[in-house]
Amino acid sequence: MKIEKGIIASSQLTFMIIGFIQASNLLLSFSSGIVSHDAWLAILIAMVLSIPFVLSYAALGREFPGKNLIQISDIIYGVYLGKIISVSYVFIFFALVCQNLRYFSDFLITFIFPETPIWAILIMLTFISAWAVRAGIEVIARCSFIIIAIASTIILATSLLLLPDMRFRNFLPILDVPLQDLIHGTHIIFSINYLEIVVFLMVIAFVNKPKQIKTSMVGGLILGGVSVLILEVRNTAVLGTVSEIVSSPSFVTARYISVAEVLTRMEMFVAIMLITTVFLKVSILYYAVVLGSAQIINLRSYVPLVIPIGISAISFSIILAGSSMEQIHSAIYTWPVFILPFQLFPVLSLFIVKIRKKFKKRWANKK
Amino acid sequence: MKMIMLLAAVFLIIIIIEAPKLIINKYWKELIAFLSLLSLAFALTALVIFDVDIPSPLEGIEYLIDDILGLSWDRK
Repeated sequence: MKIEKGIIASSQLTFMIIGFIQASNLLLSFSSGIVSHDAWLAILIAMVLSIPFVLSYAALGREFPGKNLIQISDIIYGVYLGKIISVSYVFIFFALVCQNLRYFSDFLITFIFPETPIWAILIMLTFISAWAVRAGIEVIARCSFIIIAIASTIILATSLLLLPDMRFRNFLPILDVPLQDLIHGTHIIFSINYLEIVVFLMVIAFVNKPKQIKTSMVGGLILGGVSVLILEVRNTAVLGTVSEIVSSPSFVTARYISVAEVLTRMEMFVAIMLITTVFLKVSILYYAVVLGSAQIINLRSYVPLVIPIGISAISFSIILAGSSMEQIHSAIYTWPVFILPFQLFPVLSLFIVKIRKKFKKRWANKK
Repeated sequence: MKMIMLLAAVFLIIIIIEAPKLIINKYWKELIAFLSLLSLAFALTALVIFDVDIPSPLEGIEYLIDDILGLSWDRK
């Protein structure tokens, strides 16, 4: 019996990936403190570097049509090793849910609701995501179009309105940072902003046309990456060297908008964009956790696990860090190193599958 | 004490909403998974409510990456 009956279109997969990447523009500040005004270069390099990895994820998905990460690792590595790998992936996705919830609530508390206790925001966001996850992947996929329409409109509108404030002299001198810092910044953007797409290995099994997975995943990556690039260029051009100090550049940048002293205080639109896209990102990660854990223990339905996992995620995100500074320090220095093996692992799986296929063919020819 | 009663009430409401469907459909395995995960969540939430000092998992990751493996970007 199939645990998830929903089917999503390949275009919806593209929209989900775009929204997923746009949600992480809140996390751009991690790298901008290190590479300062060359952050656009780091984003560009990270985007180009992540394309082959995304292609290999898509190829892995195509090798096993209709199977997701849990089932694929069961097939490739056998029952026991496969279970260990699946459990570690589910833990990683759970950690990502907690990290995103915590970072986003900290952002809301710092900039918009300074007096509100953190759990109030956590409970509201998790409740809505739980609702979406209970409804299934189809609902999340349909939401994604509306969400990225809102987010892209806001990105374009704020960028156009900020054109008079942009000083492109801020980008000079290019490549001012040492090489090690550039590699470090690229690594942060590579693993935190882009290659969290590894979670889509849980979702691409439900795409109706498996042939189009490759184009839609890479298309989503490039479109999402370009929108992040536009944001970063805008932030650096408007803020200049200040952008490495502030903790949320895109929010602070929107405060500069002032059209004839009537259209001002546009930063709430940026907050709306962040709320909607973070909702999408958290829902996809949350869905992966719930579906994965239901598949590991062979359940017939994943719906009963949604609420317990959501409550654990809320408590865990409160435990996760004493302050947001602790979390930012970990995100800059250790988290990218920790998560990188999990993002490279599917490539290894793809190699194993390809080599096995080749040897099987050779043995068949010899006989 | 008030807080823990309130918390227990919330969890009881969740069980009342969720469990009957599972029992009617005879999803026993799902019921066991649901109840065990829910008790885990209850324990975690109770720890948070009583302000028990739980070491953050991020510190563990930092110890693993920085002190054992020596791979952190922090070293210059």
